[in-house]
Amino acid sequence: MNDTIIKDTLKLANETMNKSIASPTSEQINWWLWIAIIEFILILFLVLKQIKKPRDKQKQKFKEESLEQEIDFNNIINSSFNSKQLYDELKVKCHPDLFPTDVEKNLIAEKLFQEITENQNNAKRLIELKELAKQKLNINF
Amino acid sequence: MLDNLWNNVIEWFEDRSERAKLVRSFNESARKSFVSGIAPTLLKASISKGESSYKHQFSNWLNSGFRIQAFTGRVLTKEELMRIGKVILDDSILVRRLIVLGWDTLEIHGDSGQYGCRWQLKDYIPLPKFNKNE
Repeated sequence: MNDTIIKDTLKLANETMNKSIASPTSEQINWWLWIAIIEFILILFLVLKQIKKPRDKQKQKFKEESLEQEIDFNNIINSSFNSKQLYDELKVKCHPDLFPTDVEKNLIAEKLFQEITENQNNAKRLIELKELAKQKLNINF
Repeated sequence: MLDNLWNNVIEWFEDRSERAKLVRSFNESARKSFVSGIAPTLLKASISKGESSYKHQFSNWLNSGFRIQAFTGRVLTKEELMRIGKVILDDSILVRRLIVLGWDTLEIHGDSGQYGCRWQLKDYIPLPKFNKNE
């Protein structure tokens, strides 16, 4: 009776041992461990690379200068819809050919016209130039 | 040594904040102009994926597009889209700011229709040559 029990116990223990050896989880654990090690090395490499990279002072300066300047968003939005009409009006009325006899006015008109062309997408500047044209060239808009 | 890494982390967060601030300011101005009648169309800026071939030394890895959508309720003509784009690109301060904050593409779209216009920002401002390894 005891013999049978011992034999059965041994058989069961043997089967359990075989099962645990054949199970794939032990292999998987090893795989994951290796993947984790590789990942760690990769992260370490990237961090060290980032640390050793010299900071470009010129680039930094360029960036700081750019961030300091003020942007006039209202003028940008206004210019998107209203600068074309203003430009069309100014380029006709301030054309230097309209002052062929008056040399002084012709010179002023030439400078103004040049600036009008340069600032054709800047409504704020065009309004200023319009005022200037009224004063210096006596143009009625 | 860790200072460098720490500065990069701080800089990244600062840039994120500046980007959000710029988009918010643009949208606020556009909304005010539309409400007060200065602008007949409501413009809305947002961050988009951008075009990967337009990259420059300041470009972000992801989301490098600055998209402006015009809410007109109709399909915008190419000239209308170009007009808005030209005004943005003519403002050198804005273009410079967009570049240093990591944007490389400007996109103008209407609210309906499938097409829009796209510009490469680095073409509109001379970028100095920095460290070649960057």
